[in-house]
Amino acid sequence: MLKGKKSLKVALATLSAAALAGGLLTGCAPANSGGTITYLTQSEAWTHADPQRNYTGMHIAWFGSYLQRTLTAYDRKPGAEGSAVVPDLATDTGKATNGNKTWQFTLRDGSTFEDGSAITCEDVKYGVSRTFATDVITDGPTYAIGMLDIPTDPATGASTYKGPYSTDAANDTASFDKAITCSADHKTITFNLKRAVGDFNYTVTYLSFSPVPKAKDTGDQYDLAPVSTGPYKIKSYKTNDSMVLVRNDKWNKSSDPLRADRAFPDKVVVKFGQAAEVIDQILLSDKDKTAVSLDSLLPTNLSAVFDDKGEVLAKYKGRAINVYDPYVRYAAVNVKKVNCLPVRQAIYYGKNFQSLITLAGGQAFNGDPADGVIKPLMGLDYAKTGLGTNDKDWKPEGNVEKAKALMAQAATECPELYARATDPKRGLVYDIADTETNKKASAIWIESMTAIGITMKFNFIEAGKYYSVVLDATKQGDLSAGGWAPDWANASTVIPELFTAEGGFPMSQNWDDAAYAEFKKRSDANLTQPDRVKQGKEWAALNKYAMDQMWVIPGTFSKTQEIWGSKIGGAFFWEPQGALSFGDLFIQK
Amino acid sequence: MNGLLAYISRRLGLTLLILLAVSFTVYLIFALLPYDPASLTCGKSCNDPGIIEANRHRLGYDKPFFEQYWIFIVGLFAGRDFGEGAAALHCAAPSFGYSFQQHACVTDLIFDALPVTLSLAIGSLILWLIVGVGLGIVAARFRGKIWDTLSTAFVLVGTSLPTFLTGLMLIVFLVIKLDWSPFPAGGYTAPDEDIVGWFLSMVLPWVTLAFAYAAIYTRFVRSQIIEISTEDYIRTARAKGLSDGIILGKHTMRAALAPIVTMAGLDFAGLLGGAILTEAVFNLPGMGRLSLNAVVDIDLPVIVGTTIFAAAIVVIMNAILDIVYAFIDPRVRV
Repeated sequence: MLKGKKSLKVALATLSAAALAGGLLTGCAPANSGGTITYLTQSEAWTHADPQRNYTGMHIAWFGSYLQRTLTAYDRKPGAEGSAVVPDLATDTGKATNGNKTWQFTLRDGSTFEDGSAITCEDVKYGVSRTFATDVITDGPTYAIGMLDIPTDPATGASTYKGPYSTDAANDTASFDKAITCSADHKTITFNLKRAVGDFNYTVTYLSFSPVPKAKDTGDQYDLAPVSTGPYKIKSYKTNDSMVLVRNDKWNKSSDPLRADRAFPDKVVVKFGQAAEVIDQILLSDKDKTAVSLDSLLPTNLSAVFDDKGEVLAKYKGRAINVYDPYVRYAAVNVKKVNCLPVRQAIYYGKNFQSLITLAGGQAFNGDPADGVIKPLMGLDYAKTGLGTNDKDWKPEGNVEKAKALMAQAATECPELYARATDPKRGLVYDIADTETNKKASAIWIESMTAIGITMKFNFIEAGKYYSVVLDATKQGDLSAGGWAPDWANASTVIPELFTAEGGFPMSQNWDDAAYAEFKKRSDANLTQPDRVKQGKEWAALNKYAMDQMWVIPGTFSKTQEIWGSKIGGAFFWEPQGALSFGDLFIQK
Repeated sequence: MNGLLAYISRRLGLTLLILLAVSFTVYLIFALLPYDPASLTCGKSCNDPGIIEANRHRLGYDKPFFEQYWIFIVGLFAGRDFGEGAAALHCAAPSFGYSFQQHACVTDLIFDALPVTLSLAIGSLILWLIVGVGLGIVAARFRGKIWDTLSTAFVLVGTSLPTFLTGLMLIVFLVIKLDWSPFPAGGYTAPDEDIVGWFLSMVLPWVTLAFAYAAIYTRFVRSQIIEISTEDYIRTARAKGLSDGIILGKHTMRAALAPIVTMAGLDFAGLLGGAILTEAVFNLPGMGRLSLNAVVDIDLPVIVGTTIFAAAIVVIMNAILDIVYAFIDPRVRV
C-alpha cells in the first residue's frame, strides 16, 4: 500500500496512550539543557524546509519544533491531549465571527525573526500569499487557496490571485488584500473565507500560515534557507550532507510559551544520506547514544527490537516504539469503470488479507484490517462500519463462497462489467507502484481474484510518478493502491478529500455513482456544521456510507516503528503529527 | 616545434568538436526520454495542467528542440536566467541548468561534489598503487611460494567482494562494533574545515575502493612482470650476473610501468565521474551520489549536467595525454 500525498494528522489516542503507559516517557526537565542531538536519515535532504512547502506530519513536527512558528499549534503532550490546539504566534486560538466565515488572530508581543525584526501581520499575510504561487511554491498544502474568499476563474477553476511573484497585470492582488486584512497596529490578522470553516484554527496549525519576511524571500531557493522564528536557526544546510541548527539568540522566550520550557539541546544536527542498514546498526548497537532515526526500522531488523507480538524487547525498552501511524491503506476503486456494487463487494470479500499482511511483515508491524478510511483513534469521527472483523462474512484468508455469490449477482445486474472482469483477456486493471514487495503482492491478489472468477491484471507504475498517474482520471485503472491520513483531527480532511469531486485525493472517481448526490449533499452540509459532536457523528456515518458503496476496498490501519539512542530523553509519539515530538527531546545527563 | 603546435591546435579543435557532439547527443537523449521536464518541476504529485503549462513556458520547454539546445550552449558561456519577476533565478556561466529539486544551479552542485570525489579518487589511487603494485611485485618475485599464494588469496577476495559489502563490513565491524574507532560511520568533512576530520572520514572509503582496485592491479602487475621476465634482454641481464633486485628495479619495472600508468590514468578518469557505491555506503556527497540521486529523482538538468561534465573530463584527459605523448614521442605528432 502506498501513502497518500497529504499530511499525517490524526488523533491516535488510545493505543499510543497505552504505549506511553508502557514507559515511553523518559521525563523532561529544563535541567536537561545542552548537548547535541543527531538525527539520521536515508533522505538526501529535507523534502522541503520552506514553511509554505512543508506538508507531511513528520516534517511539520520537526520544523515546527525548532524553526517555524505559526498562528496556532498542537499541544506538546502525549496521548489525545496532544491533539488540542493551543496558541503559538497568536494570543489565542482565534475568534470566529460571521458564521465561521471570518477568523481573527492577534499576534503576541515580542515575537521576532532570527534577525531580531518584529513579526507583523503583514509577514503572516505575505507567507500565506506564497501558497498561491503554485508554480514556484510547490508541494505545500493549498487550504488557503480553497478557503480564502478569492474568486476563481470559471473556465479553469484556478484562483484569480497567482501569488506575489506573478508579473501578470491581471493578477488579482486586490481580492487577496480583501481576503486577508491587517489592523493598523500590524498585530491583528483577519481571514475572510468563502465558506464557513468551524475548525479554521486547526487549518492554521500548518506551517503554510507561517510568517515570511518579504525582503528575505528568495522564491524557490527559500527552501534552502528559511528565516527562523523559533528557538533555533540554521547554521548550515547542505543537501546530500547535513543540516546544523544552533540556538537563535534573537528568540524571545517570553513570547513563545509553547517552546519556552523546551528547546533543550544546544545544537541539532541532521545527517542526510545515511545507508539504511548503517542507521539501524548505529541505533541497535547504541553506538551514538544521542542519535535519533528519522526513518522506520528496516523490516529485517524488527525482530531484533520487538517480539512476535510487536512488543519492545527488554533491551530496547524506553528507546523504541511500535505504534499506529496516521495512515489508512486501501485500494481505491475507480467507480466510473467499476460501476457495479456486487463486483466491488466481491473483490472485498475475495481478497486474501492474511497473505498480503504476512508478506508485508505481519500484523504486529503492519497493522490491523481497516473497516473504513477513518481510524478508530479519530475519536469523535469514528464508528464501526460493520466491515472487517465486525463483518461475519469477512474472512482474513478471503471468503470465496460469498464473493462468488456476489459475482453471480453481478452477472445479472451488470453483465457488461461482469463480462469484462471475468474475461481472461481483459479483466480489471490494478495500478500499483513498481516495487519488489508490490510485485509479490500482485501474485497474491491475482490468485485470490482468480478463485472468485475475476481476472486481475497489474499496471506497475514507477514509484516517483505513481500519484501523478493515478490522479489523472484519464490514466487511472480500475483499482489503485492508496493511503490517506487526516490533515488534522477532523474527518473533514478525509471524507470530502477522498470522495468528493472537489477533494484533493479523489481516486475513487465516484461522482457519477447513483449514491453520490446524497453523499455530497450531506458532506457539504457537514463541513459547515458548528457542533463538533454532531459533525463527528455525521463523518462516521458518511464513512459507513462510502464503505457500503465500497468506493474503496479497505486495507489496513497501519503502524510504524521508531528507535533512538539511550541518552535521548523526553521521547513520545506526537499523535496529531504522527511522529516523535522532536522539540521535547533532550540529552539525559 | 611548429609541428608540435600544429598538433596541439588540431587536438584541441577535435576536443571541442567532440565535446559539442557529446553535449548534443546527451541533450537529444534526454529530450527523447518519456518524461516531461515541465511536469517534473511542478511538484512531486503535481497534476495541474495549468501549472505544468506555465512551467513549460517559464523554463523555455515550449521552444523548439534546437532553440532549447542553443540556449543551453549559450548558458555554458554566458550564464542563464530562469523564470521571471521576484522569483527569477540566475545561474552564472558555465551554466548547466537549474535543479528545481535541489534548488540550486547544476554547476554549483557539480563543483560542490567534485572536491569530495577528488578526495576519494586521489587517496584511493595512491593506496591501490602502493598495495597493488607492491603485492604484484612480491607475488612475481616469489612466484609459486607462500607470498604468491597469499597475494592470490588477496586478489580472489578483493575481486569477488563488491565494494558496498566491503564498505558496509568496515563500518559495522570497525566503526559500530569498536568503541575506540576514530573513524566516523560516514559523511564528509572538508579539509579546509578540519584536516584531521577530513583524513579520518576518508580512510575507510579509500580502503574500500582501493581494496577492489589493488586486487586487480596485483594480478595485472604480477602477470606483467612474469611476462617481461621471459624477455631476451632480461635473460641477457641475468646472464651478465646482475642481481635479481637490479634486474627488477632497472629493467623489468621500467618496462612494466608504462601500461600500469596508462591503466591507472584511465581508472582515475573514470572515478572522477563518481564511485557510486563507495560514495553511497559512506555517505560522501560526491559526483557518484549526485548522479545516482538525479537518476532516481528524475532530476533531468542534473542528469544532463553530470553526464556532460563526466564525458568532458574523459575527453579532456585524453587530449592532455595525447599532447603529453606528443612531447615524449615525436612520431605521435604526425
